[in-house]
Amino acid sequence: MEQEIVALQSTAKEMLAAVEDTTQLEEFRIRFLGRKGQFGALMKGLGKVAKEDKPRLGQMANAAKKEMEKLFSEKKQALTSFTAGSVSGAGIDLTLPGRRPEKGQLHPVTQIMNEVCSIFENLGFSVAEGPDVEHDHYNFEALNIPAHHPARDMHDTFYVSDSILLRTHTSPMQARIMETREPPLRVIAPGKVYRCDSDITHTPMFHQVEGFLVDRDVSFADLKGVLTVFTRKMFKKDLALRFRPSFFPFTEPSAEVDIACVICDGKGCRVCKKTGWLEILGAGMIDPEVFKMVGYNPEKYSGFAFGLGIERIAMLKYGIDDIRLYYENDLRFLSQF
Amino acid sequence: MKFTLSWLKEYVDTRDLSPEALAEQLTMLGLEVEGVTELFPELQTLRTAKVLSVGPHPNADKLHLCEVAVGDATYSIVCGAPNVRENLITAIALPGTVMPDGTKIKPSKVRGIKSNGMLCSERELGLSDSHTGIMELPEDTDHGQSLLQALGLDDLLIEVDLTPNRPDCASVIGIAREIAGITRSELTLPVAETEIKHTNGQFSVDIEDSEICPRYAARLIRNVRIEPSPWWIQKRLLSIGMRPINNVVDITNLVMMEYGQPLHAFDFDTLEGKQIIVRKPRANEKNFTTLDGEERTLEPDMLMICDAAKPVAVAGVMGGLDSEVTDKTVNILLESACFNAVSIRRTARRLNLPSEASYRFERGVDPGGCATVMERAVSLLCEVAGGDAVEGGVDMYGGKRPFNSQTIRISRTSALLGIDLDYDKIADALQSIGMQCKPKNDDTIWVLAPTFRIDIEREADLVEEVARLIGYNNIPTSLPKVRLSYPEQQPQRQIRSRAADLLVGMGFSEAINYSFTTSRHLSMMMLADDDIRRKQVALLNPLSEEQSVMRTMLLPGLLENLKHNINFQKNSVRLFEIGKVFTPRGKDEQPIETEQLTGLLSGRRYGEASHLYFNEENVDFFDAKGVIEELLQQMRLQDCGKKDAVSFRIPDTAEVENYEDPSQCLILDSGNGTLGRLARLQSEVARNFGIKQDVYIFDINFQLLCTLTQTDRHFRSLPVYPAVKRDIALLIPEHVQAGDILETIRSSKEKFIEHCEIFDVFQGKSLEKGIKSVAVSVTYRSPTKTLTEKNVNKSHTKIINTLISEFNGSLREG
Repeated sequence: MEQEIVALQSTAKEMLAAVEDTTQLEEFRIRFLGRKGQFGALMKGLGKVAKEDKPRLGQMANAAKKEMEKLFSEKKQALTSFTAGSVSGAGIDLTLPGRRPEKGQLHPVTQIMNEVCSIFENLGFSVAEGPDVEHDHYNFEALNIPAHHPARDMHDTFYVSDSILLRTHTSPMQARIMETREPPLRVIAPGKVYRCDSDITHTPMFHQVEGFLVDRDVSFADLKGVLTVFTRKMFKKDLALRFRPSFFPFTEPSAEVDIACVICDGKGCRVCKKTGWLEILGAGMIDPEVFKMVGYNPEKYSGFAFGLGIERIAMLKYGIDDIRLYYENDLRFLSQF
Repeated sequence: MKFTLSWLKEYVDTRDLSPEALAEQLTMLGLEVEGVTELFPELQTLRTAKVLSVGPHPNADKLHLCEVAVGDATYSIVCGAPNVRENLITAIALPGTVMPDGTKIKPSKVRGIKSNGMLCSERELGLSDSHTGIMELPEDTDHGQSLLQALGLDDLLIEVDLTPNRPDCASVIGIAREIAGITRSELTLPVAETEIKHTNGQFSVDIEDSEICPRYAARLIRNVRIEPSPWWIQKRLLSIGMRPINNVVDITNLVMMEYGQPLHAFDFDTLEGKQIIVRKPRANEKNFTTLDGEERTLEPDMLMICDAAKPVAVAGVMGGLDSEVTDKTVNILLESACFNAVSIRRTARRLNLPSEASYRFERGVDPGGCATVMERAVSLLCEVAGGDAVEGGVDMYGGKRPFNSQTIRISRTSALLGIDLDYDKIADALQSIGMQCKPKNDDTIWVLAPTFRIDIEREADLVEEVARLIGYNNIPTSLPKVRLSYPEQQPQRQIRSRAADLLVGMGFSEAINYSFTTSRHLSMMMLADDDIRRKQVALLNPLSEEQSVMRTMLLPGLLENLKHNINFQKNSVRLFEIGKVFTPRGKDEQPIETEQLTGLLSGRRYGEASHLYFNEENVDFFDAKGVIEELLQQMRLQDCGKKDAVSFRIPDTAEVENYEDPSQCLILDSGNGTLGRLARLQSEVARNFGIKQDVYIFDINFQLLCTLTQTDRHFRSLPVYPAVKRDIALLIPEHVQAGDILETIRSSKEKFIEHCEIFDVFQGKSLEKGIKSVAVSVTYRSPTKTLTEKNVNKSHTKIINTLISEFNGSLREG
């Protein structure tokens, strides 16, 4: 009996080694491992051996069969791994879902913020962050917005005391950095900003990125160039954009930058109010008054500054239609980006 | 600023510009057009009708049965208006019309008689408050045409979003001037035929402070008839959303909209002493009733218009009730003045009284224009209200400014804009909007700006005008030539991004919550009354109690987020936020802003992952601890060799926060102080937030984390010789902590110990009460040889003996 087992095993191994395709493999299976196969017969034969030999021989036969089964499945895998498709029905339902690890998501605001920052970092800008709770001086005065200037109407300001407020834009970083450093400067300042305004299109807190470049001989044409590079990197290669006059007390000339509506391709839709254009950035040449206040000579240096709203860009890029979703932190929302 | 296309065309030839093109041109001039819309879109379907006959209604005394003609068609209509009569031309809403109030007109039966539409009153059309009868149109009006056309209201409303630097464009003429500039056409301005001569003895004006009232002009008009304005005036006001009141008030409003100069008309006979004094309130003048009937509290520095005895108007903001023009007014004193912008702004703010007048004054009106504008109004008052202008008047112009002349350099302008310019190009641009230019020298141009351009004060302002008029889009695009430098980045930003990425990889989503919150959160967190975090930076003008203080913790926000997600059936939540908390300092000092990293885990361990493969167990404390361990390890902050290495510590009872479960709480120590903590949230706190499941939380002082030194990446040779792994199964008293066992093994100084770990802990079953089984695996390896049984046995036996004696344990059999 013992020899029988050894013999069968070696025959089977030889046969298996000779198998060249799945048809032969199936023949092999029926001959050796099938219900009426030779290993089955061997097992049945165990019934006839002496009682004291039974455990030992049983174990031996079992081990031999197991080994063959293992070799068989290895062979099968080897044969079928190159003949994909022919395995279905062979025991695995490949349409079942994969075993995925749980993953989270960065907030869409963070994602856009990172994207914006990295475009400017690649242009050689450094990144600086400042306080959310600001002095009136940096938020307004140093930016040429004295008390009782009508431009303060453009900022619905949250106050903490007469002289302390929640910054209404990230522009205070212009003054803070210019005050401590000499040109040339290329800086962007991302962060949270606050306005006491809350409706379907405004949340009282949102995110901005402020940027500025100061050097000798910086021109409005340069401002146009840098912002063109930025918007095209951010949206798409051949995006149309236009610059139109506007007013900010800390820049002159001031401009609003519009891009061709990314929703309707400039044809006119609800989002762009049928104009075909979307306001995306405020910018301008830094006002000589701002330079004077930080002790720069405006005859020597010139520069430009710009600011943009992150939520707005995210809305346009992702087609988000309700700004309030940003701060509910609903996983059904967060997991989409 | 709102105006209609036809109004604009009164002053300027818009050439062949379509309304869209005109809007585009204005926008590109910096006068951003917010919208171009049909006037009264809700009245588009109304028609004019002529009443052919009026007969009695068989079933109602007060109703009439009318036949009306609308073009070729006739309709039977039931009408109850007292003024309905034969040949009257009126407004009709035919079946299918939706009225401004939303009612849809249908053929109906009124008291048993069919009515095919409705004849409308002005109030029903939203045109005025008049509801005494149906609308009456001039007899020669054709019937069957659009009502709006008949009224001259088939017009386009253009709305411009003005920037604060262009108060001169808060007027239709101001807008027209800009259009004239680009179309190079002439302006047609209203002609005023009267003239001011100085004082006439019938009244006097005194200005106490010409700083805050640079100019005050006034004229007396006698014998005016107060009545509704003629339609052409009403129409102008209605079309821009202003309510017609009476001819005098309407004229002041109309002329203000034309020129941007606010005017005020006083009932002259109410002015005591026939005198106007521009001054601040006297100490006893504390209250004043404005013409809206509200009593206002005056402040000592508010500028008032007074008569000989008392204030009669808040200068530049609103008139007084007692001097208001009423039906009984006969003589009026018309004011055309210029006030200091800051003073008006401050007053309008404090009285919370924004008005069309204060809007213009606080941005600045042209002191040079006061007289011209007044004459326009006077001429209308005579023509329309039948007044007699008393010859002469008063014009106090104490704050007259010298000519507003500036210089602009051609080279500087070219360099700043990045475009090649010369004298002709610059002068041509500036002259198109009424500036006078003369060459001063080769590079410098002398420019005289019109008085209404009060925003032109410096060369920079002129440079902007040049850019604006050339067109920003005609300026080329270039890239700055800059010296190469390496942008140094703040490490904190990089560490933040690294930490966020790691957490995202561990299944956490990033939350961003408002920096302001409610102080109620802290009670919900069960913080003690004297907890430092109860001291919060409060906003003076919050939008709501929910957003009234700056946060001192991130956790409450995240718990609200968790609750929100549970409400929407997302029970398995992993969220984190990296954000600032704010600790107040002195009143006029900025608070301390510290960045925190806070996170929470709740619900199932494998979240939404398929139940096919993953079990449905909930997260527990060790999931939270694992996250922190992984975070610290990945950020290389947990090296034993470092001085400020981070380690976990079981807190004393006193150190446990009220919101933490004292039995499941660990503190993270660093060499530089407490770095953070992790815990199971107290169920009571969870319940306070409406959460009915276990929540595990961690909170790290991110600012401190950024200061910790990261271990260097240092290569260690790969082991050449095999390791030997031995297990120990110990029975020890249940209070002995796994950490201590590992620590004892590590510090045993036995050679060759490479690693040791706990791989099984259990209690109960066959074990004695108070005893637990802990299985430890110890790995031995030598860097220089293959370890023999003998080498390992020696150390291993020692370790077993030490553990048994140290922890009063025994080896578990089998």
